[in-house]
Amino acid sequence: MDKIDKIVFGDNQFFGINHMSQEKAQQLSEKFFDINNIYKVYDLAFKNGIEAVMLNSNDRAKEICKHFCENKKTHGHLAWYPSIPYPHKYANLVNEKGIFPAINDVLFSNNSALGVLGMVVKGGKAVISKDAIELMKMLVDMEVKIYKGLDVKVVFLQNIVVDLILGYGIKDVFYEYCEYIRKKYNALPGLITQNMPYLKAKLEEWGIEEVVICSSINKIGYLMSPDIPSYMESIQNNDSSKYQLMAMSTLASGAIRATEAYEFINSLNIQSVVFGASSEKNIQETISLIKL
Amino acid sequence: MNKIKIGIIGMGRMGITHFSIINSHPQVDIIAVADTSKITLDLLKKYVSGLQVFKDYKELIETARPDAIIVCTPPSLHFDICKLAFKNNIHVFAEKPFTADVNQAKSLMEMFASKNLINQVGYVNRFNDVFITVKKYIENGLIGEIIRFKSEMFSCTVAKKEQTESWRSHVGNGSGAVYEIAAHAIDLVDYIIGKPDKIVGTSMNKFLSKNVEDIVSSTFIYKNGCSGTIYVNWSDTSYRKPANKLELFGLKGKILADQHGMKIFLNDDDSKSGYKKGWNTVYITDIFTPVPFYVRGNEFTRQLYHFADSIIAGGKAGICTFVDGYNVQYIMDQLFIDAKKNSIK
Repeated sequence: MDKIDKIVFGDNQFFGINHMSQEKAQQLSEKFFDINNIYKVYDLAFKNGIEAVMLNSNDRAKEICKHFCENKKTHGHLAWYPSIPYPHKYANLVNEKGIFPAINDVLFSNNSALGVLGMVVKGGKAVISKDAIELMKMLVDMEVKIYKGLDVKVVFLQNIVVDLILGYGIKDVFYEYCEYIRKKYNALPGLITQNMPYLKAKLEEWGIEEVVICSSINKIGYLMSPDIPSYMESIQNNDSSKYQLMAMSTLASGAIRATEAYEFINSLNIQSVVFGASSEKNIQETISLIKL
Repeated sequence: MNKIKIGIIGMGRMGITHFSIINSHPQVDIIAVADTSKITLDLLKKYVSGLQVFKDYKELIETARPDAIIVCTPPSLHFDICKLAFKNNIHVFAEKPFTADVNQAKSLMEMFASKNLINQVGYVNRFNDVFITVKKYIENGLIGEIIRFKSEMFSCTVAKKEQTESWRSHVGNGSGAVYEIAAHAIDLVDYIIGKPDKIVGTSMNKFLSKNVEDIVSSTFIYKNGCSGTIYVNWSDTSYRKPANKLELFGLKGKILADQHGMKIFLNDDDSKSGYKKGWNTVYITDIFTPVPFYVRGNEFTRQLYHFADSIIAGGKAGICTFVDGYNVQYIMDQLFIDAKKNSIK
């Protein structure tokens, strides 16, 4: 399996996401309302050596992808780590219409004429055979479309989807997702989870290998189910040729000081860290502290 | 010991989530689901081995014979489903709002009190780390006697003018900002302060929905002199996720809390808690307790595990029973009565 980048620059800070504080989230959302402020932070990150970017397929990702596609001369070397889907896009529709009409709407209402044609043909088949796998592939295509032209290294499935399906224990969805990402996009499949030890154990049981697993890993056990000891055991015994582990929420939304947080991370059998920051000082500090 | 057999009735957004969460419980076996959507049932049958699927909840209860059910249908169906479950000695977790009618809520509360059956309503904030801590602080007298409170909730559940018809668009189904959103804000008041003695000044606005209210506010008054307001808007697009905000003003200080943390202002140092005079900030990361399996927030896992564990322990459910469900239903009913009285023709 291709090695993933040791340091990946995340995007939560740009989109008003802060697990700890709604107020802080709101402030950030105001600051980055102007997309140029997002590009300025990216430039600071690149200046300080960042070469890999994780970007969720939210409302604004399309414009960001377009920007970097148009600036390939200067930014062509970047590796992209999309995470899909943007769950809130679906949440409102699901509230209004129910889950299947919502998927139908997302697939068939918001596409260019050419896109619609292809998807209707494929979708018609999917609905007739009630094939969730076909439906999933269509949703993946729709979400990944915006990253076309960029060098995509890993396509991550968001934890809201991964953990939901993990609860049902449906092997087929995980297997088919991973195969599809490898074959169609020539990228590594990635799974984001808040239940890493359980997910990894299930993947091992199902024989699904060469997957990147991204999960919260921090000293205080925040967003780490079921508990820290299970994570420690799972990480320690991991064979990184089968599963590359990426840590997120390393600072537990700011609850842990950076030096302390990365001292802990550096001591573990982890292959990569994704972090978000919006000041040059924090970007520099984080990069200097990560030693995997 | 044998696993408890659970059936889920209503596989919409909440049913789908609850299935995933409780399926992770080592002593639970989900044996059946019921839903009116054939597509949903076909998909579940195809991908979840051994699962029985039913178009009719009566069949699920009478054929699959579960030990417990999780009810996630539109609220107007809760009464009949819970009644049938009671008749068959089945434990019930009912999503919120408990029912769409206060008399039905009362009847279910009384019914389940007469048998040793676990009964729980899905007011999930009672399982949130921050609100559990707020409740504890108030009980310990951290900010003294509460004089005034404000309980608010915002979401973008209905973000544009209603176009399609669904169960959510009709009065009587248990939809609208009161039943769906204010229910949570009211339950937090009931949980932390208690049931009000009088409800006044209720007003409601309708601007995106055709038949149900989008915004509601009201004032709660208590015999002991305490009073407070609720304000709820389910069409506030400035909120990405639903958010509860609670402000409690007491004789010794105040607390501002949401799902993610709280700020405490104290008039004096509090030696028991260690909080200082002035502002203190408590983050979720300071007080969280992990859950065995995470799908969409610790509180969602905790509430369903509480339901299953209460059944396994063979006792009474301690947190958020049908009594609490009735209390919220009663208050919501009073809101509608008061709002009608206050409207200008």
